Amino acid sequence: MKLFKSIKWRLQLWYGLVLVVVLVGFGTTAYQLERGRQFRRLDEDLHRRAGLLVNTLRRPPRGPAWAGPAFDQPPPHRTEDGSEPQPEPLEPGHGNLPATVPFHLPPAAAALFDASDPNGFYFIIRRDGTELARSTNAPAVFPDAFRAGEDLAGVMKDPEPPDGSGKDSASSQRDDLRPEMAGPTSGFAPGQPGPARTRGNFRELVLHDRSPASPFRDTIVVGRNIARELTELHVIGWTLTGVGAVILLLGLTVGGWLVGRALKPVAAIGAAAAKISAGDLSQRINITDTDTELGQLAAILNATFMRLERAFTQQKQFAADAAHELRTPVTVMLTQTQTALNRERDATSYKLTVEACQRAAQRMRRLIESLLELARFDAGQEVLRCQHVDLGATVAAGVELVQPLAAEQGVTISVAAAPLTVTGDGDRLAQVVNNLLTNAIQYNRSGGTVSVKLASQNGLAVLTIADTGQGIAPADLPRVFERFYRTDQARTGGGNAGLGLSICQAIVTAHGGTIEAASETGSGTTFTVRLPLGPAAAPA
Amino acid sequence: MRILIVEDEPDLLASLAQALREEGYAVDTADNGPDGLFNAEGTDYDAIILDVMLPGLDGWELLRRLRRTRKTPVLMLTARDQSRDRVRGLDTGADDYVVKPFDLAEVFARLRAIIRRSSDQATSFIDLGAVQINTAARTVSLRDQPVELTAREYSLVEFLALHRGQVVTRTRLYEHLFDENESSLSNLLDVHVSNVRKKLGAEFIVTRRGHGYCIE
Repeated sequence: MKLFKSIKWRLQLWYGLVLVVVLVGFGTTAYQLERGRQFRRLDEDLHRRAGLLVNTLRRPPRGPAWAGPAFDQPPPHRTEDGSEPQPEPLEPGHGNLPATVPFHLPPAAAALFDASDPNGFYFIIRRDGTELARSTNAPAVFPDAFRAGEDLAGVMKDPEPPDGSGKDSASSQRDDLRPEMAGPTSGFAPGQPGPARTRGNFRELVLHDRSPASPFRDTIVVGRNIARELTELHVIGWTLTGVGAVILLLGLTVGGWLVGRALKPVAAIGAAAAKISAGDLSQRINITDTDTELGQLAAILNATFMRLERAFTQQKQFAADAAHELRTPVTVMLTQTQTALNRERDATSYKLTVEACQRAAQRMRRLIESLLELARFDAGQEVLRCQHVDLGATVAAGVELVQPLAAEQGVTISVAAAPLTVTGDGDRLAQVVNNLLTNAIQYNRSGGTVSVKLASQNGLAVLTIADTGQGIAPADLPRVFERFYRTDQARTGGGNAGLGLSICQAIVTAHGGTIEAASETGSGTTFTVRLPLGPAAAPA
Repeated sequence: MRILIVEDEPDLLASLAQALREEGYAVDTADNGPDGLFNAEGTDYDAIILDVMLPGLDGWELLRRLRRTRKTPVLMLTARDQSRDRVRGLDTGADDYVVKPFDLAEVFARLRAIIRRSSDQATSFIDLGAVQINTAARTVSLRDQPVELTAREYSLVEFLALHRGQVVTRTRLYEHLFDENESSLSNLLDVHVSNVRKKLGAEFIVTRRGHGYCIE
């Protein structure tokens, strides 16, 4: 069952089905055309012969009634028709006369039914079932059906032959024979030919004179052995079948090859995807043909895999960094407590241990809070309580907050803040301002300055915080907003895990703003925050 | 045994130093890379505990530079437990590593192991005939009877035993038994030697006049 779920096999199946339908259609049509052609030829011959017989048997009451292709060709006795008189005396109302009428075929007609010609024969059967005449080459068994009292009228009425070969008569009827034949219920032209029918190896034409006015209500059966034609048709049928089978086989083989070839990239894609799903994100699909649809798909998938790998690597790095940052405080707590418990100590030393543990725990708490904060921003779950915020006031408050730290480090802060209103979360924006200010003080030199400017520019509130510290090396500058990225590759104390700027960036981005860093090694770093101005912000 | 700890986390550094001192080691400390390298190059430590992440000079670089001049056993402390980092540490010349967070007992055991290996000692038992030393348990026995030694006395015996047959100068003994905070000008060493001789027999430590001491 699994086999039929594969695209390859499904394609093959449909392809094969369509091919079979087309081949059967073509084959049947070709066969039927050939068969129709053969039978038309046979029937024309039968009609010609029947015409001869009828004309020989008696002169029809009205010549034109026999108009028809079989009689178009002027048989020799047609001219006899023209001279006409012989059967005339027979006609007027002598019901039993015909039995005595001698039957002779003119030599030209008799030649047609000669035993040397196995193709044609005839019977003439009287109404009472007795046989008037038969050709020398007529098969012995043939008239039995008629003698047995078969309803000859039925033959006329029902175009379906009793042996069920309906197609034959149907095809005969389709032929242009049909217009030459009056329908069974229409005018009673004596000896009007019914449709030819096939019985076994014989094709026969039954002419039945049913006109009540006619004294001759004979039935003429003209037939011929068509075994040769049937065999020919069989051969043609089998040839068509054979050719069809070969074409089908060839088509399926070629089709299978083509489908296999077309689906080969799918296998490659599948293999690569399987390896990736097994955890090897470095896998790529080997694209050989980039122009095909599958090649383009593979290229798209490769790009996706690349982004996926990058995201995974970042995530892995983030997790590793987070774990790394948590290891140090845990180590502190473990060594502190294990050392303290090694022996009995006095209260002071226990107190020192507990304090160290507390510091470690605080550090872990800060780290965990930062991580959660970033995770919420990443997941878009952080809800900003947006309102109109006077950014100037926020900056002033922030400067006031860090003033003690600045004094401790010998750093002076200069502020030039215009009262600008933005829409945002006041607490979050204050967090950004405080973080940047703290950084500017901590990474400053003693006696340095921090200059804070807030101004509106092109519809944006632009906050710049510049320090006079060592600056950031150009190689490090693009990475300062990366999580856990620290330029000095070591803890700088105070539990700064390298997440502060990442959080600032997350907050500013959530507010629809931008944050960037510019630095000159040796002379200081400037952080610039741009936030869209709020609606009420037109202080100008 | 004198140990150098280079670690920038103050609380960790303090507790490690305290714990090692209580184990009887002489301990020096440094809280940044350059200071650590200076100490490590200037003194013949029995072992160095080195953190990887250090301000100024990271642990790997410190180790690389130290290996130019000294073969001091180094135990790396790393917060990264990926084998890549361990391999890098070991390849750079570290003798062992411990991944944070660690248990103190494990750090001590690994420290003892790298010191033992550096003095070509295969096990933690040193058999000196009548006297036997268990460096793991830090115990000494005389004719199968345990002998009580102070931490400093034990260190003296252990150091001389690890350098059995060699004459160890007073300077070297001072360097390995006392850290930089203790005065080497005192006659503490003579007191310890004298006490050990009382407990383990006068002939246990031989004095080579003008050279130093020796266990034969």
